[in-house]
Amino acid sequence: MRILILAVALLLVGSIMSPSTAQTNGLEKGNKSPEIRLPSVKGDTVTLSSLKGKLVLIDFWGTWCAPCVEEQSELAKLYHTYQHAHFTIGKGFEIYGVSLDSKKITWENFLVKHKINWVQVSDLKFWRSPVARTYNIQGLPFNVLVDDKGVILAKNLHGKDLEKEINKYLNK
Amino acid sequence: MKTKILTFLLVAFTTSMLVTNPLSSHGQSDPWTQQQLLAPAELAKVLNTPKSPQPIVFSIGMQAIIKGSVDIGPAMRADNLNTLKQKLNQLPKNSKIVVYCGCCPFSRCPNVRPAMALLKSMQFTNYKLLNLPQNIKVDWIDKGYPISE
Repeated sequence: MRILILAVALLLVGSIMSPSTAQTNGLEKGNKSPEIRLPSVKGDTVTLSSLKGKLVLIDFWGTWCAPCVEEQSELAKLYHTYQHAHFTIGKGFEIYGVSLDSKKITWENFLVKHKINWVQVSDLKFWRSPVARTYNIQGLPFNVLVDDKGVILAKNLHGKDLEKEINKYLNK
Repeated sequence: MKTKILTFLLVAFTTSMLVTNPLSSHGQSDPWTQQQLLAPAELAKVLNTPKSPQPIVFSIGMQAIIKGSVDIGPAMRADNLNTLKQKLNQLPKNSKIVVYCGCCPFSRCPNVRPAMALLKSMQFTNYKLLNLPQNIKVDWIDKGYPISE
């Protein structure tokens, strides 16, 4: 009996400690994406929910994150291709870029230099941003694809996998 | 049978060499030793015990998140590295120093190498790199360790 209790206890501890469970908490496919309410470069608040009706990619990134920076040109291509497309689950495609930068000037300069024209928000709190906690982000880059109602379709897809997923919902 | 055992040993040896290889993903050896990596729990304990001797903690990344740390800015930039050099010039070589960035894993961090190389070249004798394998959020903030206001 004691051994049984010990085994159960060990299993419990194991499941709590497992990082994979920590990463997926409440952010599963089919769950509603938590609201994000952050300022743009201009200072006005842009909410995630304001993009309802569209297929939306929430892209968590930072100018200091090399793979994120590399990915921005791929996102630009996706944005250009699908911005006005009709999907089975939304009209148009939008990217909601959430930067974990800490200095406004660095963030702003990057957006201008790379001509990034999709929605960009940041509270400039680096890893202390509450959104990093809400979305349980363990590392960058990280993204979440949501449908017209803000329901999670997929998480952390990049490159061809991401395009394939977006393409899946095209109204053909 | 002998060949099988030999093959197994060879595979096991190669694998263990690959796993323990001290070379970074860039294929260059890092300017620090395993002994110079400081566990976050250890630093947190010291910071939470103000009566114990405190190290000088330099943030050489995006933001000075750790309580009491000195904000240098990303050490990948020459001007920031120079600021660090000037601060270090005022310290005795045996000062207890800790540096951290925490943007991303060491393999991808552009800041830890220049800072650690500088400390080495300036011949400091008691400096450590805070071991944040993932980032400052996962390995420090999420653990409830002391952060700046």
